[in-house]
Amino acid sequence: MGLFALVFLCLYRGIFGPGILNRIAAISAIGTKTLVILLIMGFIYNRVDMFVDISMVYALLNFIGTITAAKYLEIGGEV
Amino acid sequence: MINISDDIITRTVSRVLVPFIQIYALYVIMHGHHSPGGGFQGGVILGASFILYLITHGLEDAKKRMSELKMGLFSTFGLLIYSGIGLLCLILGGNYLDYGRLSTILKVIPAQARSLGILGVEIGVGITVMAVMFSIFFDISTGGVLPEDEEGLGTSDE
Repeated sequence: MGLFALVFLCLYRGIFGPGILNRIAAISAIGTKTLVILLIMGFIYNRVDMFVDISMVYALLNFIGTITAAKYLEIGGEV
Repeated sequence: MINISDDIITRTVSRVLVPFIQIYALYVIMHGHHSPGGGFQGGVILGASFILYLITHGLEDAKKRMSELKMGLFSTFGLLIYSGIGLLCLILGGNYLDYGRLSTILKVIPAQARSLGILGVEIGVGITVMAVMFSIFFDISTGGVLPEDEEGLGTSDE
């Protein structure tokens, strides 16, 4: 339950956060928390082998999304 | 235009990570009927690995490995696999994508023929999704202008 509250705290920083860098960091942190929540759901439903696959893909796309946003800032996108 | 990244950490991490992402994508495609995933999801992961390579190593280097023409050929080739298996079932006397009919030419029992037919269709879907995802990203990152157009060579010859 604490993780859900932390997701909403990060969501506040992602929506109202000053500047684009805070927002990127907040979205990345939300992705990491979602990964842990998915694994805990796997333990609840006793199907960890299924949920590990989904959480791996989630971590991967989260990483690629953060790299892409950082690249967009590097080549001179609008902040 | 996306150039090669200056940061050695980004380049090295992506160079190490891309083969593992591709192996994981092949696992998702091959294991799609026992676990979450399948052709579309595996194709998206495979396309994401090429997109990661393009972002970190620049457009020129990615064009050498995966050109626009190759991606177009891959997308039509995957569609050919999909519709070819479907039409083969139609020719053998079943419905479209009725994999049980493939048992006569694969020399296996119908249940095994269904498993193999679904695997073939998923491979076709995965190749198509990978090629289309990468070519969409490619077109967006070039802004619709290819370097050979700028040099005045006219349109490409596909």
